[in-house]
Amino acid sequence: MQPGDEQLVALARSGNHKAFEELVERHKQKAYRIAFDFSRDREEAKDLSQEAFLRAYTHLGNFDGRSAFYTWFYRILVNICLDYKRRKQRTSTEEFNENVENQLEATHVPQRPPAPDQMVLAGQLSRKVSDALEALPPKQRTAFILKNNQGLSIKEIAEMMQTAEGTVKVHLHRAVTALRHSLAEFA
Amino acid sequence: MIHYDKSPAIACKPFEEDLVLYYYGELDSPGRTAVESHIQSCEPCRSYMKEMQVILPLTVKPDEPPQAFWEEYSREMRRKLTQAGERQSWWWSLTSFLQPWVIPVTATAVVAVLAVTLTLGKGFWGSKEIPQDDEAFMEIMPAAENLEFFKTMEVLDAMDLLEDMGSPAKGSA
Repeated sequence: MQPGDEQLVALARSGNHKAFEELVERHKQKAYRIAFDFSRDREEAKDLSQEAFLRAYTHLGNFDGRSAFYTWFYRILVNICLDYKRRKQRTSTEEFNENVENQLEATHVPQRPPAPDQMVLAGQLSRKVSDALEALPPKQRTAFILKNNQGLSIKEIAEMMQTAEGTVKVHLHRAVTALRHSLAEFA
Repeated sequence: MIHYDKSPAIACKPFEEDLVLYYYGELDSPGRTAVESHIQSCEPCRSYMKEMQVILPLTVKPDEPPQAFWEEYSREMRRKLTQAGERQSWWWSLTSFLQPWVIPVTATAVVAVLAVTLTLGKGFWGSKEIPQDDEAFMEIMPAAENLEFFKTMEVLDAMDLLEDMGSPAKGSA
Protein backbone atom coordinates (compact mmCIF):
# COMPACT_ATOMS: atom_id res chain seq x y z
CA MET A 1 0.00 0.00 0.00
CA GLN A 2 1.28 3.45 -0.92
CA PRO A 3 1.88 5.90 1.93
CA GLY A 4 -0.46 8.91 2.10
CA ASP A 5 0.69 12.47 1.54
CA GLU A 6 0.76 13.16 5.29
CA GLN A 7 3.01 10.15 5.92
CA LEU A 8 5.37 11.35 3.21
CA VAL A 9 5.37 14.82 4.75
CA ALA A 10 6.29 13.33 8.14
CA LEU A 11 9.14 11.37 6.53
CA ALA A 12 10.34 14.44 4.64
CA ARG A 13 10.33 16.46 7.85
CA SER A 14 12.59 13.92 9.45
CA GLY A 15 15.09 14.48 6.64
CA ASN A 16 13.99 11.88 4.10
CA HIS A 17 14.50 13.64 0.77
CA LYS A 18 13.11 10.74 -1.23
CA ALA A 19 9.76 11.16 0.54
CA PHE A 20 9.47 14.72 -0.70
CA GLU A 21 10.54 13.68 -4.19
CA GLU A 22 7.64 11.24 -4.13
CA LEU A 23 5.30 14.13 -3.23
CA VAL A 24 6.68 16.08 -6.19
CA GLU A 25 6.02 13.13 -8.51
CA ARG A 26 2.46 12.87 -7.25
CA HIS A 27 1.57 16.53 -7.59
CA LYS A 28 3.84 17.87 -10.34
CA GLN A 29 1.37 17.56 -13.22
CA LYS A 30 -1.48 19.25 -11.40
CA ALA A 31 0.85 21.91 -9.99
CA TYR A 32 2.25 22.58 -13.44
CA ARG A 33 -1.25 22.76 -14.91
CA ILE A 34 -2.39 25.36 -12.34
CA ALA A 35 0.76 27.42 -12.94
CA PHE A 36 0.16 27.13 -16.68
CA ASP A 37 -3.41 28.40 -16.29
CA PHE A 38 -2.04 31.48 -14.57
CA SER A 39 1.00 32.10 -16.77
CA ARG A 40 -0.16 30.51 -20.06
CA ASP A 41 3.50 29.79 -20.79
CA ARG A 42 5.23 26.41 -20.51
CA GLU A 43 8.61 27.51 -19.18
CA GLU A 44 7.11 29.97 -16.73
CA ALA A 45 4.66 27.34 -15.50
CA LYS A 46 7.56 24.96 -14.90
CA ASP A 47 9.53 27.58 -12.96
CA LEU A 48 6.53 28.66 -10.90
CA SER A 49 5.47 25.15 -9.96
CA GLN A 50 9.05 24.17 -9.08
CA GLU A 51 9.39 27.29 -6.94
CA ALA A 52 6.22 26.26 -5.11
CA PHE A 53 7.66 22.80 -4.42
CA LEU A 54 10.87 24.33 -3.12
CA ARG A 55 9.02 26.74 -0.88
CA ALA A 56 6.87 23.92 0.46
CA TYR A 57 10.00 21.86 1.11
CA THR A 58 11.79 24.61 3.00
CA HIS A 59 8.64 25.49 4.98
CA LEU A 60 7.47 21.97 5.79
CA GLY A 61 7.79 22.90 9.46
CA ASN A 62 4.88 25.33 9.01
CA PHE A 63 2.53 22.61 7.75
CA ASP A 64 0.36 21.90 10.78
CA GLY A 65 -1.74 19.15 9.22
CA ARG A 66 -5.04 20.95 9.82
CA SER A 67 -5.72 20.87 6.08
CA ALA A 68 -4.65 18.29 3.52
CA PHE A 69 -1.11 18.62 2.16
CA TYR A 70 -2.37 19.40 -1.34
CA THR A 71 -4.61 22.23 -0.02
CA TRP A 72 -1.63 23.74 1.79
CA PHE A 73 0.68 23.22 -1.16
CA TYR A 74 -1.73 24.60 -3.79
CA ARG A 75 -2.26 27.66 -1.60
CA ILE A 76 1.50 28.29 -1.77
CA LEU A 77 1.44 27.71 -5.52
CA VAL A 78 -1.48 30.08 -6.15
CA ASN A 79 0.22 32.80 -4.08
CA ILE A 80 3.42 32.39 -6.11
CA CYS A 81 1.43 32.60 -9.35
CA LEU A 82 -0.37 35.74 -8.21
CA ASP A 83 2.92 37.33 -7.12
CA TYR A 84 4.36 36.48 -10.51
CA LYS A 85 1.39 38.12 -12.22
CA ARG A 86 1.83 41.26 -10.14
CA ARG A 87 5.54 41.41 -10.96
CA LYS A 88 4.82 40.84 -14.64
CA GLN A 89 2.18 43.54 -14.75
CA ARG A 90 4.59 45.98 -13.13
CA THR A 91 7.31 45.10 -15.62
CA SER A 92 5.00 45.35 -18.62
CA THR A 93 3.79 48.77 -17.44
CA GLU A 94 7.40 49.93 -17.19
CA GLU A 95 8.16 48.48 -20.62
CA PHE A 96 5.06 50.14 -22.05
CA ASN A 97 6.09 53.52 -20.68
CA GLU A 98 9.59 53.02 -22.06
CA ASN A 99 8.22 52.11 -25.49
CA VAL A 100 5.95 55.14 -25.53
CA GLU A 101 8.91 57.38 -24.70
CA ASN A 102 11.01 55.72 -27.41
CA GLN A 103 8.24 56.11 -29.97
CA LEU A 104 7.85 59.77 -29.16
CA GLU A 105 11.56 60.24 -29.64
CA ALA A 106 11.71 58.24 -32.88
CA THR A 107 10.49 59.47 -36.26
CA HIS A 108 6.74 59.31 -36.32
CA VAL A 109 5.50 56.61 -38.74
CA PRO A 110 1.72 56.26 -39.03
CA GLN A 111 0.63 52.73 -38.01
CA ARG A 112 -1.93 50.86 -40.07
CA PRO A 113 -4.89 49.59 -37.96
CA PRO A 114 -5.17 45.78 -37.84
CA ALA A 115 -7.42 44.30 -40.49
CA PRO A 116 -10.68 42.86 -39.05
CA ASP A 117 -9.94 39.48 -40.61
CA GLN A 118 -6.80 39.15 -38.52
CA MET A 119 -8.90 39.45 -35.39
CA VAL A 120 -10.47 36.06 -35.96
CA LEU A 121 -7.16 34.27 -35.97
CA ALA A 122 -6.57 31.80 -33.21
CA GLY A 123 -3.58 33.73 -31.94
CA GLN A 124 -5.68 36.83 -31.50
CA LEU A 125 -8.30 34.88 -29.62
CA SER A 126 -5.68 33.49 -27.29
CA ARG A 127 -4.29 36.97 -26.63
CA LYS A 128 -7.76 38.35 -26.05
CA VAL A 129 -8.49 35.59 -23.56
CA SER A 130 -5.16 36.20 -21.80
CA ASP A 131 -5.89 39.90 -21.54
CA ALA A 132 -9.39 39.25 -20.25
CA LEU A 133 -8.06 36.87 -17.59
CA GLU A 134 -5.28 39.22 -16.58
CA ALA A 135 -7.78 42.05 -16.20
CA LEU A 136 -9.62 40.10 -13.51
CA PRO A 137 -8.83 40.97 -9.89
CA PRO A 138 -6.58 38.28 -8.30
CA LYS A 139 -9.29 36.64 -6.18
CA GLN A 140 -11.74 36.42 -9.08
CA ARG A 141 -9.01 35.02 -11.34
CA THR A 142 -8.03 32.44 -8.74
CA ALA A 143 -11.61 31.29 -8.12
CA PHE A 144 -12.28 31.15 -11.85
CA ILE A 145 -9.14 29.21 -12.80
CA LEU A 146 -9.53 26.71 -9.98
CA LYS A 147 -13.17 26.10 -10.92
CA ASN A 148 -13.22 26.47 -14.70
CA ASN A 149 -9.83 24.97 -15.55
CA GLN A 150 -9.08 22.69 -12.61
CA GLY A 151 -12.61 21.59 -11.81
CA LEU A 152 -12.16 21.93 -8.07
CA SER A 153 -15.31 22.13 -5.97
CA ILE A 154 -16.39 25.43 -4.40
CA LYS A 155 -15.59 23.87 -1.00
CA GLU A 156 -12.03 23.00 -2.04
CA ILE A 157 -11.50 26.45 -3.51
CA ALA A 158 -12.81 28.08 -0.33
CA GLU A 159 -10.34 26.00 1.72
CA MET A 160 -7.49 26.90 -0.58
CA MET A 161 -8.35 30.59 -0.61
CA GLN A 162 -9.11 30.52 3.13
CA THR A 163 -12.48 32.14 2.64
CA ALA A 164 -16.20 31.33 2.83
CA GLU A 165 -17.91 29.28 0.12
CA GLY A 166 -20.36 32.15 -0.47
CA THR A 167 -17.44 34.47 -1.17
CA VAL A 168 -16.02 32.05 -3.73
CA LYS A 169 -19.42 31.91 -5.47
CA VAL A 170 -19.48 35.70 -5.66
CA HIS A 171 -15.91 35.81 -7.07
CA LEU A 172 -16.79 33.15 -9.62
CA HIS A 173 -19.97 34.89 -10.72
CA ARG A 174 -18.18 38.23 -11.11
CA ALA A 175 -15.34 36.63 -13.05
CA VAL A 176 -17.76 34.93 -15.45
CA THR A 177 -19.70 38.18 -15.92
CA ALA A 178 -16.48 40.09 -16.71
CA LEU A 179 -15.26 37.41 -19.13
CA ARG A 180 -18.61 37.28 -20.92
CA HIS A 181 -18.34 41.02 -21.51
CA SER A 182 -14.71 40.86 -22.66
CA LEU A 183 -15.23 37.86 -24.93
CA ALA A 184 -18.80 38.48 -26.13
CA GLU A 185 -17.59 38.83 -29.73
CA PHE A 186 -16.64 35.13 -29.77
CA ALA A 187 -20.03 33.87 -28.61
CA MET B 1 -17.78 43.87 -42.27
CA ILE B 2 -17.47 42.06 -38.94
CA HIS B 3 -18.77 43.81 -35.85
CA TYR B 4 -16.96 43.20 -32.59
CA ASP B 5 -19.09 45.25 -30.27
CA LYS B 6 -21.55 42.43 -29.60
CA SER B 7 -23.15 42.78 -26.19
CA PRO B 8 -23.52 39.70 -23.99
CA ALA B 9 -26.93 38.27 -23.25
CA ILE B 10 -28.62 39.64 -20.15
CA ALA B 11 -30.13 37.10 -17.77
CA CYS B 12 -32.76 37.66 -15.09
CA LYS B 13 -30.90 39.24 -12.18
CA PRO B 14 -32.13 36.82 -9.45
CA PHE B 15 -31.03 33.84 -11.56
CA GLU B 16 -27.67 35.11 -12.79
CA GLU B 17 -25.47 33.64 -10.06
CA ASP B 18 -27.46 30.40 -10.05
CA LEU B 19 -26.98 30.07 -13.82
CA VAL B 20 -23.21 30.22 -13.30
CA LEU B 21 -23.36 27.67 -10.49
CA TYR B 22 -25.66 25.49 -12.59
CA TYR B 23 -23.16 25.59 -15.44
CA TYR B 24 -20.43 24.36 -13.07
CA GLY B 25 -22.68 21.73 -11.47
CA GLU B 26 -22.55 23.42 -8.07
CA LEU B 27 -26.28 23.61 -7.34
CA ASP B 28 -28.14 21.19 -5.12
CA SER B 29 -31.12 19.26 -6.46
CA PRO B 30 -33.86 21.86 -5.70
CA GLY B 31 -31.64 24.62 -7.13
CA ARG B 32 -31.06 22.65 -10.33
CA THR B 33 -34.77 21.99 -10.77
CA ALA B 34 -35.56 25.68 -10.24
CA VAL B 35 -33.02 26.79 -12.85
CA GLU B 36 -34.08 24.16 -15.37
CA SER B 37 -37.75 25.07 -15.15
CA HIS B 38 -36.89 28.79 -15.40
CA ILE B 39 -34.67 28.31 -18.47
CA GLN B 40 -37.49 26.53 -20.30
CA SER B 41 -39.67 29.61 -20.14
CA CYS B 42 -37.02 32.37 -20.27
CA GLU B 43 -35.29 33.12 -23.56
CA PRO B 44 -32.68 35.62 -22.20
CA CYS B 45 -31.53 33.14 -19.54
CA ARG B 46 -31.31 30.42 -22.17
CA SER B 47 -29.10 32.70 -24.29
CA TYR B 48 -26.99 33.46 -21.22
CA MET B 49 -26.43 29.76 -20.64
CA LYS B 50 -25.57 29.13 -24.30
CA GLU B 51 -23.05 31.97 -24.22
CA MET B 52 -21.34 30.50 -21.20
CA GLN B 53 -21.17 27.13 -22.95
CA VAL B 54 -19.37 28.78 -25.89
CA ILE B 55 -17.15 31.34 -24.14
CA LEU B 56 -15.91 29.61 -21.00
CA PRO B 57 -14.25 26.62 -22.71
CA LEU B 58 -12.28 29.14 -24.83
CA THR B 59 -10.47 30.34 -21.71
CA VAL B 60 -8.74 26.97 -21.26
CA LYS B 61 -5.50 26.85 -23.19
CA PRO B 62 -4.62 23.26 -24.08
CA ASP B 63 -1.12 22.13 -23.20
CA GLU B 64 0.20 18.58 -23.18
CA PRO B 65 3.95 18.58 -22.53
CA PRO B 66 5.81 15.53 -23.88
CA GLN B 67 7.25 12.82 -21.65
CA ALA B 68 10.74 14.30 -22.04
CA PHE B 69 9.50 17.50 -20.44
CA TRP B 70 8.35 15.61 -17.31
CA GLU B 71 11.59 13.69 -17.07
CA GLU B 72 13.55 16.93 -17.24
CA TYR B 73 11.15 18.46 -14.73
CA SER B 74 11.85 15.70 -12.20
CA ARG B 75 15.62 15.84 -12.77
CA GLU B 76 15.67 19.63 -12.25
CA MET B 77 13.48 19.32 -9.19
CA ARG B 78 15.75 16.70 -7.60
CA ARG B 79 18.77 18.94 -8.17
CA LYS B 80 17.03 21.97 -6.68
CA LEU B 81 15.81 19.96 -3.70
CA THR B 82 19.32 18.66 -3.03
CA GLN B 83 20.68 22.22 -3.08
CA ALA B 84 17.91 23.43 -0.79
CA GLY B 85 18.48 20.45 1.51
CA GLU B 86 22.17 21.22 1.82
CA ARG B 87 21.43 24.82 2.74
CA GLN B 88 18.90 23.72 5.32
CA SER B 89 20.68 20.73 6.83
CA TRP B 90 22.01 22.61 9.87
CA TRP B 91 18.57 24.07 10.54
CA TRP B 92 16.88 20.71 10.19
CA SER B 93 19.25 19.12 12.68
CA LEU B 94 18.23 21.80 15.15
CA THR B 95 14.49 21.44 14.55
CA SER B 96 14.68 17.65 14.73
CA PHE B 97 16.24 18.05 18.17
CA LEU B 98 13.31 20.26 19.17
CA GLN B 99 10.78 17.45 19.50
CA PRO B 100 7.32 18.39 20.83
CA TRP B 101 8.20 17.11 24.32
CA VAL B 102 11.42 19.12 24.60
CA ILE B 103 9.78 22.51 25.23
CA PRO B 104 7.41 21.51 28.10
CA VAL B 105 10.14 19.41 29.74
CA THR B 106 12.65 22.28 29.56
CA ALA B 107 10.07 24.76 30.88
CA THR B 108 9.22 22.47 33.82
CA ALA B 109 12.92 22.04 34.63
CA VAL B 110 13.50 25.81 34.58
CA VAL B 111 10.50 26.42 36.88
CA ALA B 112 11.71 23.71 39.28
CA VAL B 113 15.23 25.16 39.42
CA LEU B 114 13.83 28.65 40.03
CA ALA B 115 11.54 27.40 42.79
CA VAL B 116 14.38 25.57 44.57
CA THR B 117 16.73 28.53 44.22
CA LEU B 118 14.21 31.02 45.57
CA THR B 119 13.16 28.76 48.47
CA LEU B 120 16.67 27.83 49.63
CA GLY B 121 18.27 31.15 48.82
CA LYS B 122 15.60 33.28 50.48
CA GLY B 123 17.66 33.96 53.63
CA PHE B 124 20.75 34.60 51.64
CA TRP B 125 19.13 37.13 49.30
CA GLY B 126 16.87 38.68 51.99
CA SER B 127 19.70 39.49 54.44
CA LYS B 128 21.37 41.79 52.01
CA GLU B 129 21.22 45.44 53.03
CA ILE B 130 20.57 48.31 50.72
CA PRO B 131 23.87 49.60 49.40
CA GLN B 132 25.22 52.84 50.81
CA ASP B 133 24.90 54.62 47.51
CA ASP B 134 21.20 53.73 47.25
CA GLU B 135 20.53 55.01 50.78
CA ALA B 136 22.15 58.34 49.98
CA PHE B 137 20.16 58.57 46.78
CA MET B 138 16.86 57.96 48.58
CA GLU B 139 17.67 60.75 51.06
CA ILE B 140 18.55 63.21 48.33
CA MET B 141 15.41 62.57 46.25
CA PRO B 142 12.84 64.32 48.55
CA ALA B 143 15.26 67.23 49.03
CA ALA B 144 15.62 67.61 45.29
CA GLU B 145 11.83 67.62 44.91
CA ASN B 146 11.57 70.35 47.58
CA LEU B 147 14.18 72.37 45.77
CA GLU B 148 12.08 72.28 42.61
CA PHE B 149 9.05 73.38 44.65
CA PHE B 150 10.90 76.39 46.12
CA LYS B 151 12.15 77.39 42.69
CA THR B 152 8.55 77.43 41.43
CA MET B 153 7.47 79.54 44.42
CA GLU B 154 10.27 82.03 43.69
CA VAL B 155 9.09 82.41 40.11
CA LEU B 156 5.50 83.00 41.27
CA ASP B 157 6.66 85.61 43.78
CA ALA B 158 8.62 87.37 41.06
CA MET B 159 5.54 87.40 38.82
CA ASP B 160 3.42 88.92 41.63
CA LEU B 161 6.03 91.60 42.13
CA LEU B 162 6.07 92.44 38.43
CA GLU B 163 2.28 92.64 38.36
CA ASP B 164 2.31 95.03 41.34
CA MET B 165 4.89 97.24 39.70
CA GLY B 166 3.06 97.32 36.36
CA SER B 167 -0.47 97.95 37.78
CA PRO B 168 -1.57 101.60 37.11
CA ALA B 169 -4.26 101.49 39.81
CA LYS B 170 -1.75 100.71 42.49
CA GLY B 171 0.73 103.18 41.04
CA SER B 172 -1.81 106.03 41.14
CA ALA B 173 -3.06 105.18 44.63
